[in-house]
Amino acid sequence: MSRSDDRAPAAHGAPEVRAEIRIRRTDGSRSVFSVDAGEYTTILDALEEIRTVHDRSLLYRHSCHHGSCGTCGVIANGERVLACTTRITSDEPLDLDPLAPFPVIGDLAVDATPLYADFPTDASYLRDSDARPNATDPVAPEEVGRFTRFENCIECGICVSVCPVVRPFKGPAALAAYGREIEKRPDREAELLAEIDAPDGVAGCDRALNCSAACPLGVYPAKHIAVLKRKIDARRADYSP
Amino acid sequence: MGRDAPAAPRMAAPAAAHAAPAVGDADRRRARDIHVAIVGGGGTGAAILHDLTQRGLRCTLFERGELTSGTTGRHHGQLHSGARYAVGDTDIARECMEEVTILRRIAAESIEMNYGLFIALDDDDVDYTAAFERACSESGIPNRRLSTTDALRHEPGMNPNARHAVMVPDGTIDAYRLPLQFLATARAGGATIRTFCEVTGIDSSDGRVSGLTVRDYRSGRDERIAADVVINAAGPWAGSVAALAGVGLPITPAPGTMVAVKGRLCNMVVSHLHPPGDGDIIVPQRNLSIVGSTQWKVDDPDAIRTPPDDILRLLDRARELVPAFAGAEFHAAWTAVRPLSGRTDAGGRELSRNFQVIAHASDGAAGLFSVTGGKATVLRAMGEAVADDVCRFTSLAIAGRTADTPLLAHREFFRRQERVHEPV
Repeated sequence: MSRSDDRAPAAHGAPEVRAEIRIRRTDGSRSVFSVDAGEYTTILDALEEIRTVHDRSLLYRHSCHHGSCGTCGVIANGERVLACTTRITSDEPLDLDPLAPFPVIGDLAVDATPLYADFPTDASYLRDSDARPNATDPVAPEEVGRFTRFENCIECGICVSVCPVVRPFKGPAALAAYGREIEKRPDREAELLAEIDAPDGVAGCDRALNCSAACPLGVYPAKHIAVLKRKIDARRADYSP
Repeated sequence: MGRDAPAAPRMAAPAAAHAAPAVGDADRRRARDIHVAIVGGGGTGAAILHDLTQRGLRCTLFERGELTSGTTGRHHGQLHSGARYAVGDTDIARECMEEVTILRRIAAESIEMNYGLFIALDDDDVDYTAAFERACSESGIPNRRLSTTDALRHEPGMNPNARHAVMVPDGTIDAYRLPLQFLATARAGGATIRTFCEVTGIDSSDGRVSGLTVRDYRSGRDERIAADVVINAAGPWAGSVAALAGVGLPITPAPGTMVAVKGRLCNMVVSHLHPPGDGDIIVPQRNLSIVGSTQWKVDDPDAIRTPPDDILRLLDRARELVPAFAGAEFHAAWTAVRPLSGRTDAGGRELSRNFQVIAHASDGAAGLFSVTGGKATVLRAMGEAVADDVCRFTSLAIAGRTADTPLLAHREFFRRQERVHEPV
């Protein structure tokens, strides 16, 4: 198994490996399937083939197949990954489990609802593009006004899955969204900091930093949480006698 | 070119979005008693669900897997101004442009609206430019020719040896979150959505559909669901769904490969200024650049393996448009299957990209409608066209209002969860 950030091999047509995929089912058992994997075959490709050829009842989530929608997070041999951008490169048995701690709908499919419970209300999903950040001449067509892009966070839940905190905690994904919204909307800072200045807010973080290490998109939630904590501490200092 | 569309509110005001339509009480009461079953949870099904729910009909959507797990989530992510199709496929070009304007108003949060450049690389492209611009203008697509120097000021990532460029209002869609906005709004309005629930039969009596048989993979049980109207919005699988009612549907499933590399190598959509072909569009999205596509035909749209040759060919083509592709790090390669309307003995590029709504009354299945073809950009229009036909079929004088209704944010799909598992 390798992450997609490995270089694509220069040549194609490498010998296929026959991978043994062992999938945790709803009843707790494991179903075992063999899949021929070529050099570009991902875990998601294997799941698609298993469902089509072997078991139509297999449940898993997927949509974009290129790491943009955030639906296909799974635990593969103990590692939290996006199934769509993780290639199968070995014939070692591959154990697939649903992305704990999210509630399981069935097999590998989880209910993402808890992820969104503590996101800031009305937060924008757009950000300014960093295209030509140092340009001094007007670069955007006048019809555009300014270039924008989507937030990096694809809301896959992997950061929540690796977070070791078991107390009530808004979690790294929601707090990173608070961090981004405050960066974009300084006028909302007081309102939003008040919502996360609580035991289950930034104070709930044990600074294990697992979230930043595991995030497939480089959002670095732990960094956002540290910045938010400093802002809250600074506001408290301002108001103390 | 027109000015920026006014910023749409991020959240629909519930009262405005879900107010009862201004129609007679009798129609309104009757609409609530009509149950519409929609087969397919892609962008088309999502838009149909939203439109019919807003008109007051009782709607249930069935999707055999996760929402948008078929063609919708996997598409290139281009918000099409229609320019790509303007020469020769005017209807879909015009429709695309109208829908770009509407989507910017109702779903701005799912669009990176950074415009697109069609770049001319050789003499043939230069010769093609005038016809391209004329066709764009005739389809209502704002277009402006730029010198290479001016084009590079807008898009430094494009090939600096281009001869010139034409700027059009293309953009980038979040292929998953745009349909989710329609689904969130529909569910807030009372619609039911059932995922992991495959339609295995279409029931009918006396030449009219009466319901569905579905297999719920969560429970493992088969269920009979009564329905007054059944809408087949299964994309490239629509032929199989129509066959459940004994109806033949002219459709060509046509897969295409896309390749994403790491890094936002261009900020605008960059296309080759020539007739549509393989690997001639680069769509940037977040911190990725995606080149597509290829095209071939299949009978079965399931589990298509991405051809390795396609990957190398697309990366080669991409370098001609955006040279930085040469050193870019591979990220992903995948295949999506287009649901082209009609059948062909040729490659499929000659088939119109426009959509069709087909009523199957003359096939002995009154109340069954299929929708084929179309582009992700025109999903709302597809939903409206189907809903218009359903209202005509059920004699309801209720007009659609989706063009003027800002959609809920995608996160509201998960934050307003109460109806998600509700049985019919």
